[in-house]
Amino acid sequence: MTDALEFSHIGKALPRREDFRFLTGQGRYLDDIKLPGALHVAFVRSPHAHARIKAIHAGEACALSGVVGVFTGRDLAQWTTPLRLAPPIEGLHPVEMTTLPVDKVRFHGDPVAVVVARDRYIAEDAAELVEVEWDALPCAIDAVDALAPDAPLVDETLPSNLVSHQSFSAGDVAGARSGAARVVESRFDLHRHTHVPMETRGCLADWDGGQSHLTMHIGTQVPHPMRGQLAARLGLSETQVTVISPDIGGGFGQKIALYREELTVAALARHLGRPVRWREDRMENLMAASHARETRCLTRAAVTADGRVLGLELELTEDFGAYCFYPANYMARVIAMILTGPYRISNYAFDVKVVLTNKCGNGPMRAPMAITSWVMEGTIDSIARELGLDPLEVRRVNAIRASDLPFTMPTGEILEDVTPLETLEAAAGAIDVPTFRTRQAEAKAEGRLLGLGLCTVVESTTYGSGFYKAAGIPGSGHEAAWVRIEPSGVVNASVGLMGSGQGYETPLAQAVAEGLGVSPDQVRVHMGNTDVAPYGMGSRGGRGATAGGGTLYLCAQKAQEKILTIAAHMLNLNDMQGLRLHEGEVERQLTGDWQSTGIGLADVARRAYLDPLSLPSGVKPGLDVSLTYDPPPMTYSNATHACEVEIDPETGMIRIQRYLVAEDCGTVLNPVVVRGQQQGAVAMGLSGALFEQVVYDENGQNQSATLADYMVATACELPNIEIIPMHTPNGRTPAGIKGMAEGGIMGAIGVIAGAVNDALAPLGISVEKMPLSPQSIRAHLRSAEKSGGPKF
Amino acid sequence: MALMARFGTEAKPISGGQSLTPMMNMRIARPAHLVDLNDLLELDFIRVADGVVEIGAMTRHARVASAPEVVRELPLLAEAANTIGHYAIRQRGTLGGSLVHADPAAQLPLIAVTLGAEIVLKSVRGLRIVAAQDFFLSIMTVDIAEDEILTSVRFPAMGRSTGWAFDLVSRRRGDFAMASVALALDMDDAGRVSSLRFGIGGVSPVPARLEVVEQAAFGHQLQAGMIAALAAQASAEIDPEDTPQLPATYLRELVDLLSRRSLKKATETLGETV
Amino acid sequence: MSGTKQIFLTVNGETHEVSVPPRKLLVDVLRDDLHLTGTHTGCEHGVCGACTILVDGQPARACLSYAVQMEGHELRTIEAMAADGELKPLQRALHEEHGLQCGFCTAGIVMTFEAYLRDNPEPTEDEVRDVLSGNLCRCTGYQNIVSAVLKAASEMREEAQV
Repeated sequence: MTDALEFSHIGKALPRREDFRFLTGQGRYLDDIKLPGALHVAFVRSPHAHARIKAIHAGEACALSGVVGVFTGRDLAQWTTPLRLAPPIEGLHPVEMTTLPVDKVRFHGDPVAVVVARDRYIAEDAAELVEVEWDALPCAIDAVDALAPDAPLVDETLPSNLVSHQSFSAGDVAGARSGAARVVESRFDLHRHTHVPMETRGCLADWDGGQSHLTMHIGTQVPHPMRGQLAARLGLSETQVTVISPDIGGGFGQKIALYREELTVAALARHLGRPVRWREDRMENLMAASHARETRCLTRAAVTADGRVLGLELELTEDFGAYCFYPANYMARVIAMILTGPYRISNYAFDVKVVLTNKCGNGPMRAPMAITSWVMEGTIDSIARELGLDPLEVRRVNAIRASDLPFTMPTGEILEDVTPLETLEAAAGAIDVPTFRTRQAEAKAEGRLLGLGLCTVVESTTYGSGFYKAAGIPGSGHEAAWVRIEPSGVVNASVGLMGSGQGYETPLAQAVAEGLGVSPDQVRVHMGNTDVAPYGMGSRGGRGATAGGGTLYLCAQKAQEKILTIAAHMLNLNDMQGLRLHEGEVERQLTGDWQSTGIGLADVARRAYLDPLSLPSGVKPGLDVSLTYDPPPMTYSNATHACEVEIDPETGMIRIQRYLVAEDCGTVLNPVVVRGQQQGAVAMGLSGALFEQVVYDENGQNQSATLADYMVATACELPNIEIIPMHTPNGRTPAGIKGMAEGGIMGAIGVIAGAVNDALAPLGISVEKMPLSPQSIRAHLRSAEKSGGPKF
Repeated sequence: MALMARFGTEAKPISGGQSLTPMMNMRIARPAHLVDLNDLLELDFIRVADGVVEIGAMTRHARVASAPEVVRELPLLAEAANTIGHYAIRQRGTLGGSLVHADPAAQLPLIAVTLGAEIVLKSVRGLRIVAAQDFFLSIMTVDIAEDEILTSVRFPAMGRSTGWAFDLVSRRRGDFAMASVALALDMDDAGRVSSLRFGIGGVSPVPARLEVVEQAAFGHQLQAGMIAALAAQASAEIDPEDTPQLPATYLRELVDLLSRRSLKKATETLGETV
Repeated sequence: MSGTKQIFLTVNGETHEVSVPPRKLLVDVLRDDLHLTGTHTGCEHGVCGACTILVDGQPARACLSYAVQMEGHELRTIEAMAADGELKPLQRALHEEHGLQCGFCTAGIVMTFEAYLRDNPEPTEDEVRDVLSGNLCRCTGYQNIVSAVLKAASEMREEAQV
């Protein structure tokens, strides 16, 4: 592990500046923005999982006082173009979707018509009066059934429901198998989740007919890509659309795509010449926003007798739901790509299938590759169990060591500056494995079930343009920033990211302050308005710190150079050698010490803006600097999670006794914010593994559309999380930043499964299916009891 | 009362709104009129007289859980009320609201049935009193006429020497229980069961007394073996719905476990308050 | 339930006359008619707790009440919590302990504990978690909210002693 770098502002534990407005009720979320005369919409949604639309009768709804109109897929088809996804990726079928369905609906909750009315209450009344004649169709609900030859086709333009299929092989997998002492097979079944941001989706579209211009207020993680999509689908140019993202009450990946409802609202605002707004209700959010994760995996590990992995095969099937808002291989490919993560494995093959079903479409949910660490670490645990080895030893035997770096994974991904063995030792040491094993044995003698899980995570964080190019995905991973010192010396800055609650304003101000040499409280970072922010890819994955913070840091350094060039001139020096800007003051190094020059940033700014004729030759007026930066193809952070559980054998309830994470995410901009992200990610992972589940019955009826049914963990179910921070800088990024925020989910899912299986191992039980509900744990215990195990 | 008479089926009385309003927001329930009971302060009371504790329909859960009269005379009710929903819900939700809503897994209907409470209903036609076990008809359906309002509930005070227990299993804190058990237990001087009231919630459309178990316990001492037998009987007696999400086998196991724990706890609390 | 009704609502010590349809939820009237947008709608079925306000000093879900029910009652919302620009102890502690991220659930949590800590000045961690279980937060994992409540409680006890 390399030592952390030294900084003045980066890495300081500053509390967040946005807190004050949120704590006093002065945050401005979408629904807090008022536009006079705005109309409200309500969507009419399908009660069927799969049905043809025979006719839509809106007469009664339109007759209701206050209703402006009822519009259907046919109307929207005149005003918008369909979404066509056809990236040139082998094995991926091109797909196309209209703004609202015209001929048939594909899942329970699919929007089929929209009511526009004076207020939301009336819009909802009228939506109930819209009568749709349906012709119900057989549906494909389970991914395996959906692959049967006679399965109903979710998308009739495709030959089958297998929308994407890729295979890959590196090294000699067959050879590894034949030379192995044992081939260990393991299965993993992760259920369907949904994001549940506390603020549901919504938007407010304002069409200015005189200017032919759309202003779209929408909580989006990606303002510029959102603008591009809106313009393209509405047949407008990017000069005719402004996207403004207000404060966002959580996104978690749900607020990236341009959804059909949002495009509908924008088209209606233009068609009606009135502002139109929509706020999704919670039932719609749970049923029809986007879902995630439902993935089954099978691994085959060829191993030596001492647990060394000679070869690994993965078969993966993702249930993608009914519609593709993203290329269907988008999430699954990352799982397959980084699966081997912390381990020295060179013979590797995967087969990845993505299947359409009559459920709400999938999207990336915080850690789209969430299952990865469970699959890899669960495989390691299976190896240890089958060979009778210590799971910690099997990890050590296979772990990538510092001497292996840079390490090229079998998929070609390069790991640099990662420390999986170091985090493993830190976590294992802190949780004190030998002492736990003693306690576990004592408890077992009393009939109590204690378990310990370990889960090492290698988290892909920042995706550079090099990654996209190599993957054949059109798009870029670069980010853009500007830094502007105003005439009085205060600093405005902007970047293409948009936070959804993480707290970007403080750490990004720290990055600017560091690069520039001012105090963070002199810096204001503007995000979310496409007329203000430079074109950037926005917030997704763990790219905020590296791409956003890195770009701002470099841009601020560039601004500092210009400032010092001017200052040197003011000081009658030949160049800026030996000068620095520190806390807004120009300082000069004399005999090793930094001494004041009496010139401050405000003096330089005044000269740059108000006395440009006194600038050195070749220096342009103003202090307005912009810069783009493309991160390396990929950056990785790593961590090891350790968790102790006790299972109540009578109820099947799992209690988390202790939870800790050793995490190395390189240089951190602000440890307060990073810690919050670590805790929050672990919480979301545990909540998903233990409680949350989107449930469809066999007819495709969504059974989990309230927060009483879709169970998000409360304060009583989640543990305190201990964190051991480590900071090995990335050698290839500005300031050594790596990024983070998703790995906590990968680790939590893997470690809780590992801990539960460790507790149940003496009974011969291995749990392969999530969620880890008490009823499912009891079902395992019951069958163990029947086959002669202890009775609880 | 006159409003209820005037609007009939189109009207619903609303008290705390913790049960009815969610259903209206989801457009499952859509009454044309709501009659607000919140300002009927006369329905927020707890009266103890002649071995009966009468509690007004508008008494909030938090008060039911903490009022000294309830803690003293009906500890089973107080304990159960303290597990309803969450802190904020308990400050707003009311006894009457919970009973007329009649969720099969709710605490208060279970306690009313277990203790043999009487439900007092009023209309312009007069007063009607229904035994709790007759009041709950099926899931979220109760014996209340269109023009009636539930005004109070009369609980027979628990004897000072009565043992009791309330226990539930829910997925998360504050969720409706997957299964719950409420017990009131009396013994004679020889330590034999002289009366057992054994109520069970969450596993049937309405909370129910398990009379077979109550009778089986009568005259017996509650040693471990007897407790196990009674719990097994309780578990066999119920007929829960079987769904992939919540299999009947699991619910039977929970009832067996809750019954064992509760019978044990009830024997331990016997005579505690003497 | 058509037509509107003229009512008087007392919010944060000020009485407003508003004309509202009887079926309009309190949270919508606070936000739309009184422009008090600090109270948020998270689920409209009383589960998430984001809309929690105080009615006569006790926490209540503004999504489960109708505005017309609130005549004659004292309502308090997040906007009253730092009206003088000075954060109250719990707000301050939430800031210091990083007990909020997106901030959407925060007002409901502040209002819930405004009542709870008044009546229970010395809560244990378990008690705080029990009360907090009525407010869902998707960002923080609750840990820092719990420590902020405990810190605020201790500060408030010290202040009370002075």
